[in-house]
Amino acid sequence: MPQVLTANRLSDGEVVYLATDGAWVERIAAAQVFTSPAEGESSLDIGAAAERELKIVHAYLFDITPAGKPVKMREIIRAAGPTVRRDLGKQAAL
Amino acid sequence: MPLIKNAAFTENQFVHVADGEALPQGNVIVSLKRWQAERAGLVTRNAPLGVRLNSDQSAEALAGDVHHFAVIEIDFPKFRDGRGFSSARVLRQRLAYTGEIRAVGDVLRDQWLFMKRCGVDVFEVRPGTRLEDFRSALAEQTVFYQRSSDLHRSIFEHRHAATPPY
Amino acid sequence: MYRYDEFDQKAVDERVVQFSGQVARRLSGELTEDEFKPLRLMNGLYLQLHAYMLRVAIPYGTLSSKQLRMLAHIARKYDKDYAHFTTRQNLQYNWPKLADVPAILADLATVEMHAIQTSGNCIRNVTSDHFAGASADEVDDPRIWSEIIRQWSTFHPEFSYLPRKFKIAVTAAPRDRAAIKVHDIGIIIRRDAAEVLAFDVYVGGGQGRTPLIGHMIGEAVPAEDLLAYLEATMRVYNQYGRRDNIYKARIKILVHQIGADEMRRQVAVEFAEVKAQGALALPQVEIDRIAAYFASPAFETLKDKSPTTANHAFGVWLENNVAKHKVPGYAIVTVSLKPIGGIPGDASAAQMDMVASLAETYSFDEVRVSHEQNLVLAHVRQRDLLSVWQQLDAAGLATANYGLITDIIACPGLDYCDLANARSINIAQAISTRFANQDRQREIGELKLKISGCINACGHHHVGHIGILGVDKKGVEFYQITLGGSGDENASVGEILGPAFGEADVPDAIETLIGVYFAQRSPGERFLDTYRRVGIQPFREKLYATH
Repeated sequence: MPQVLTANRLSDGEVVYLATDGAWVERIAAAQVFTSPAEGESSLDIGAAAERELKIVHAYLFDITPAGKPVKMREIIRAAGPTVRRDLGKQAAL
Repeated sequence: MPLIKNAAFTENQFVHVADGEALPQGNVIVSLKRWQAERAGLVTRNAPLGVRLNSDQSAEALAGDVHHFAVIEIDFPKFRDGRGFSSARVLRQRLAYTGEIRAVGDVLRDQWLFMKRCGVDVFEVRPGTRLEDFRSALAEQTVFYQRSSDLHRSIFEHRHAATPPY
Repeated sequence: MYRYDEFDQKAVDERVVQFSGQVARRLSGELTEDEFKPLRLMNGLYLQLHAYMLRVAIPYGTLSSKQLRMLAHIARKYDKDYAHFTTRQNLQYNWPKLADVPAILADLATVEMHAIQTSGNCIRNVTSDHFAGASADEVDDPRIWSEIIRQWSTFHPEFSYLPRKFKIAVTAAPRDRAAIKVHDIGIIIRRDAAEVLAFDVYVGGGQGRTPLIGHMIGEAVPAEDLLAYLEATMRVYNQYGRRDNIYKARIKILVHQIGADEMRRQVAVEFAEVKAQGALALPQVEIDRIAAYFASPAFETLKDKSPTTANHAFGVWLENNVAKHKVPGYAIVTVSLKPIGGIPGDASAAQMDMVASLAETYSFDEVRVSHEQNLVLAHVRQRDLLSVWQQLDAAGLATANYGLITDIIACPGLDYCDLANARSINIAQAISTRFANQDRQREIGELKLKISGCINACGHHHVGHIGILGVDKKGVEFYQITLGGSGDENASVGEILGPAFGEADVPDAIETLIGVYFAQRSPGERFLDTYRRVGIQPFREKLYATH
């Protein structure tokens, strides 16, 4: 399964994703997709470094479908916002 | 590891001796297990003696014997393991121990004040710890609801100028 | 209600400074996340799915209008204009920024509020009866004792790194509205044969993974010994609660393992030691000082006269959401935070301001938060009820469903919570919408329906007459239904019916269960009573035959 690295931003807790240029972005659509387990594994080192650099906390990998949708409901919700308040979170801006 | 006593660095005048290792002359700290196994011999030594309590060992095990120890060390294997706080209180309040209580192990700066209030008077700290950080950590709270093993008056004493309930 | 003196205020102010320092040390990297986590938890700050979450303490669920207005202000200034009232009488903000939290705490401190010990492995908010001071059946105001326990447990140097969280609840009425039997320590205050206050201390209740009812460990503990007894219990727990497995670390596991008799013995030994020291004897002067804050407000001398009305909606609300007050001419109003199809327990900043104004004008400036996620105006004159209802109704706070099937208790669930396995709010909304019809709800009568999105049971599903637990089955949300739980003085843990249901099937399943109740019930029986009389079989059979 393809994977994405995610974390929470330290300063405000915002859900962020690792992008191809090493930046942490708020939209899952801009996240870097790891197609091999080895790539995913080495991204965890980037996550650990970013935590040391006080950018983010708790980086971890999760699975997405080939079409780019998170497999788990938890990550679908994290990527959008609360399903019961469509006016809040990332989905509000979309 | 550096030791802080009375808000100043202090030299460690005790040597830890592992179970099974021969005891050198001079000040030693032994495990509770060793104390219990070799008590008869240990009490005859003519140097100050210390004992170390692990987090799963009760201070009650030293009931009646606390006067033998110049130092009682309480180990905090993980800072979340708060059993040592009870050990310190039992030593001070129930067993009336007046010697030195040392907190060793994984101890956070943010725990020093509570430890002191439970009766700890010497702290093993991380290398690089600054005395000013120690002093300011202990000054972060000046009013206390509970009367405890330190010298602070409790809020209750301030309110009623009498013996506090807690 | 209690007012801080200079010492209480200083304690909170110092904590604000201390935590501001800790936040600064975190943001500078001096503290790692692992080191910061227990510190931020002791100040009620979680990291959840979308953002940080700050849990503000509302001691024993009592608030002044000034405090409620500040909570509304914080929601507007630092959050997204709303907040959530919890099953422990606290309040949660879902979107604070870490860097703003010191300022939020400073604002709270100006109105004698804080977020101290609302999380972490320490003694949490002491909860109590939301009808305290107003109900005729209480022997004393349990909040006096809740406040005393609050002070004793705040920044307790020995009990801040417990094996696990610790929850205490207090009731002083034979009808237990505080669910004390499913708390780590639950206290029933009663009067002995000589009319002297006696404290029965129950230990080892709790929900979560292993729901258990508490055992009476201390019987008729006198007031002056209450704190010594609690200290003894805490010391036994701190020393002997498990440290190796967080799922087995609550005091209920210790009591379960060693047995109630052994627990009683160990606490008694420790209690004798603590008493011998003398330090924890609670003197009358301090009891009196705190009790004075909970003296009855200046009630007028009025006749008992419930309003008569031709207004049907007001009439239904009167019948359902208004309870009898101990003083003639007064009434206890439940402000529903359960609009049909809404999010249980949520309130907008505007709604909070509205309730604050009503409290100020009509209820001696006091609001309560119940553990069932509603608000209470405890001392409303009967002749003001129409006016109060009209204003509540205009603000969407007058749903006449207190204790009925749409008065659902639900945790935030997977929409918000990092621990959740399934969403809970959507289930609450679907059931609420399905059963919206007022007449039908009254036909069903009292039915406490509680929903949790994971085994931690923050929705208290184990003590729901109908309980629903969200689970994850191979990535799909499923819902397990239990029957017959109760948090009152006849506490019981709900029984699992059988295999779980998909999201879309839950409302139908509830319909089926209600159908069985209607078929089986004797006159005057609530749902819970019928279940207790006929057992689970009729419900189980019909449910799984139909679905």
